[in-house]
Amino acid sequence: MIGSIAAEVFVLRKRASTWILLGIWITMGAVFAYAFPYVTYRNNGGGPGGEQFADVLPQSLVSNLLVGFPFFGGAIVLMLGVLSFGSEYGWGTLKTLFTQRPGRLRIFGAKLAALGLVLAPFVGVIFVVGAIFSYTIAQVEGAAVDWPSAWLVIQALAAGWFILAVWAMLGVMLAILSRGTALAIGVGILYSLAIEGLLSALTGQISLLEPLVELFLRSSAYSLVVELGVSGEAMADRGPGSFSGPFVDGGQALLVLGAYIIIFTLVSGFTLRQRDVAG
Amino acid sequence: MSDSYVIETNNLTKRYGENIVAVDGLNMRVRHGEVYGFLGPNGAGKTTTLRMLVGLIRPTSGQVKVLNEEPGAPEGLARIGAMIEAPAFYPFLSGRDNLRVLAKYAGVPETRIAPALKEVELSARSGDTFGTYSMGMKQRLGVAAALLKDPELLILDEPTNGLDPAGMAEMRDFIRNLGQGRRTVILSSHLMTEVEQICDRVGVIRNGSLVAEGTVDELRGRDRLRVKATPQAEARDLIMGLPGIERVEALNGHLHITADLDEAAAINRALVYGGITVSEIRVEQSTLEEVFLELTKGQEIRA
Ligand SMILES: Nc1ncnc2c1ncn2[C@@H]1O[C@H](COP(=O)(O)OP(=O)(O)O)[C@@H](O)[C@H]1O
Ligand SMILES: [Mg+2]
Repeated sequence: MIGSIAAEVFVLRKRASTWILLGIWITMGAVFAYAFPYVTYRNNGGGPGGEQFADVLPQSLVSNLLVGFPFFGGAIVLMLGVLSFGSEYGWGTLKTLFTQRPGRLRIFGAKLAALGLVLAPFVGVIFVVGAIFSYTIAQVEGAAVDWPSAWLVIQALAAGWFILAVWAMLGVMLAILSRGTALAIGVGILYSLAIEGLLSALTGQISLLEPLVELFLRSSAYSLVVELGVSGEAMADRGPGSFSGPFVDGGQALLVLGAYIIIFTLVSGFTLRQRDVAG
Repeated sequence: MSDSYVIETNNLTKRYGENIVAVDGLNMRVRHGEVYGFLGPNGAGKTTTLRMLVGLIRPTSGQVKVLNEEPGAPEGLARIGAMIEAPAFYPFLSGRDNLRVLAKYAGVPETRIAPALKEVELSARSGDTFGTYSMGMKQRLGVAAALLKDPELLILDEPTNGLDPAGMAEMRDFIRNLGQGRRTVILSSHLMTEVEQICDRVGVIRNGSLVAEGTVDELRGRDRLRVKATPQAEARDLIMGLPGIERVEALNGHLHITADLDEAAAINRALVYGGITVSEIRVEQSTLEEVFLELTKGQEIRA
């Protein structure tokens, strides 16, 4: 099993799309979480917009970064998940893998483990980059450098990884069900943007939707990051990723996300094991 | 099922939907250490059968045993090297890195990679990415990957597809050499000359069923005598009356005689003595090609 995981990590590491997605994600974090708010603050002559200024300082590291995970990070690793399985259909490499020694489920397990490992830099690197930016800004502006507690950072890293893992797993499932990449990415983005996004936005008017929306991936993921100090206002104004409730408590959010990951994994594994590999 | 066969199928059937029967009650026996030719026209069901042997697809009905294991079982796969249909690898990895990935999966030491590449003469280009390979190089990498496990059973699905004549000849020599050992090889092909050159035994598949199985010589049947004589009808009667003649067939102005080839002189003498003009008498070697065309006549075009 270790050999199989090593093989998969090797493939993901050598693949350009892994690095491109990581690069986009880190750049988005640097630009939207640090560069823009800081430039806005400077343009306002350093006066009003104090709140924005506080966001880019070390003390807000966790909340400032974590707010990007439930939607933007999710969309990016959804693609990572789709590509990790969907491309195998396009290249025909699934048949090559399946005629090696391990059975299908072991190969599935190895690929998931490798994907989980590759998600670590998606969480880790953006926190390192955020730390560098916030520290530099604090130095330049002569502000205090107050880091969040180690325990909060650990929780944030864990929550961030978990949220990304759920989205990546959705991508894996869509790729396996559609036996490819294009449809899976289309459906995945459409689902998260249009279905979850629109229905969440509608709950203000149609309260009937609320119990349903509370079970959504985005609602659960946003609720989880709120638990770690992200403010509700911060996410109400984020373009396509905007979210203004309903929120659930952290325990329920964890439970729902956990249920998603289990369901996605079961459906994916079962489908991969049962289906003919022809072509 | 007994364990004297490396591959044994029993009424193996694969349907796609209502109308397509890709493999239809196939009974195939492949013995230890032989090079088995799986011969059939395009669309006959060769690839579908081979996919079932390695567990890529499941039979609709019937049974398969490969190396005494269920198809797709890890114990079996560890001893099988397979290249089924087009060779498929990661396009962004080099040939060598692709084999590295497979070696890790198969639990094979990486020291086997270099010899495998050398065996298929791909060492010089093994650092280039697979996406840049020519068809022939892809095919050879596929064979190298199949050899990586030093398998007891090698399954090669039309390995000379897409090769130029020189490449084909090379690949055939190579496969023939592979067969001369403890390894069993099953090779599918739609080219009878190929199978005739390489294989010990042949199974002919048509419309999803095996229509003949045997050694090349058994399938080819016996050489015959060909006689051109006038008047033909009288010649025919006369020859049929001779001792040791098994069969006489008139076709395209010739008589085709099944008999001991040493009878040629006696036939000639009898004809001349009977006042019949003999303009030609010679041994006619039957080819597998004729047999193959005969056996696969009526294969629907389904591919
Ligand atoms: N996945 C599939 N779905 C539908 N029909 C298929 C599929 N695979 C093969 N077939 C059909 O089954 C028949 C046998 O195909 P195949 O095994 O590829 O033949 P061969 O390898 O001998 O050329 C063909 O008629 C082919 O069109
Ligand atoms: Mg074929």
